[in-house]
Amino acid sequence: MKDNEQNFTELKKLLKLKQHEIPPPGYFNHFSGDVISRIRSGEAGASTFAERLEKQAPWLMNFLHIFEAKPGIVGGLATSLCLLLLLGVVFTENTDPSSKNIIVGAEVASQSSAATVAVTAPNFVANSGGIQATTNPAVSLQPVATLFGQANPLLQSAGFSPR
Amino acid sequence: MNMIMSEPVAIPDSNSPAGMLEGDLVKRARRGDLKAYDELVQRYQQRIYATIYHMTSNHEDANDLAQESFIKAYSALPSFKGGSTFYTWLYRIAVNKTINFLKQRKNKHHMSLNDLDFNAENDPDLVALISDKTPVQAAGLSELQKKLNEALLKLSEPHRTVVVLHDVQGQSHEEIAEILGCNIGTVRSRLFYARQQLQGFLAEYVKQI
Repeated sequence: MKDNEQNFTELKKLLKLKQHEIPPPGYFNHFSGDVISRIRSGEAGASTFAERLEKQAPWLMNFLHIFEAKPGIVGGLATSLCLLLLLGVVFTENTDPSSKNIIVGAEVASQSSAATVAVTAPNFVANSGGIQATTNPAVSLQPVATLFGQANPLLQSAGFSPR
Repeated sequence: MNMIMSEPVAIPDSNSPAGMLEGDLVKRARRGDLKAYDELVQRYQQRIYATIYHMTSNHEDANDLAQESFIKAYSALPSFKGGSTFYTWLYRIAVNKTINFLKQRKNKHHMSLNDLDFNAENDPDLVALISDKTPVQAAGLSELQKKLNEALLKLSEPHRTVVVLHDVQGQSHEEIAEILGCNIGTVRSRLFYARQQLQGFLAEYVKQI
């Protein structure tokens, strides 16, 4: 260790040059005054978002510092996210036939149930002047009858059975 | 102005803030006495500024960071428990603030160096540097100052901090460990590594001494 200290003697002499660097003349005459006036103006109470975050969630700041230190990680994450998105799009477009059958079946079922409702509640529709009264705001003002005699798929029946 | 740190000197027997002990000034400042805090700022402004300046090699940055450090310290005074001296605690705030700043600034170093004082030319070690017929002589002290600051900026922030605090500011290993919140062994190893690196960067100049 002593040898090491001796090895650095020359370097230490060189570093002494730093001690001779001085700020502009009179610089410290106003320094404390500037600090106090900034404190008076309320800067002491105001902390930045980053400072608040560092106090409340230091782990998050450490996590973000990792990204700052290693931009490669950010690039890798971004690339993998883009790949995931691309894969999602490709898989959605190439859906298998069995799922298509399920969708078609569901459409048929909804149409038949709509027709049933139109048959079972004709009086109520007639009394309400063509406007279906329902608690569902999305369909409350939908006309029941259509121009071409097709059943309105949005039609819902309202039940008033006493308990 | 001497940039080397020395123990704060308290002038006893006075009711003015200038004559008060550090502990009393801190107590008054915690109660919102800005005159007391102004006295604390005046006592430590040169050392805090010098430390930050040596870490950033930029006067404007050092000015901003030193002011912000004092402002932050004032707002954090209620949380100051007195486990260490106010001066160590203040140093910790300033050093952490500077390291965070340097991390954000990354490698975009812009030097704005202060002038050398008149004593530089009378320093025997530095006189030896420029009196020999060496490349250093041709360069002069200003050029040497620039090279030295460039070499310091090549060090990582933790290594630069230790070199600045120990070899430039004259702080002990124990004080540095307390300021940085690490053990003395870490301080020693960082100092050794940083000096080795600096020696490599400044090989041309160090050999001439």
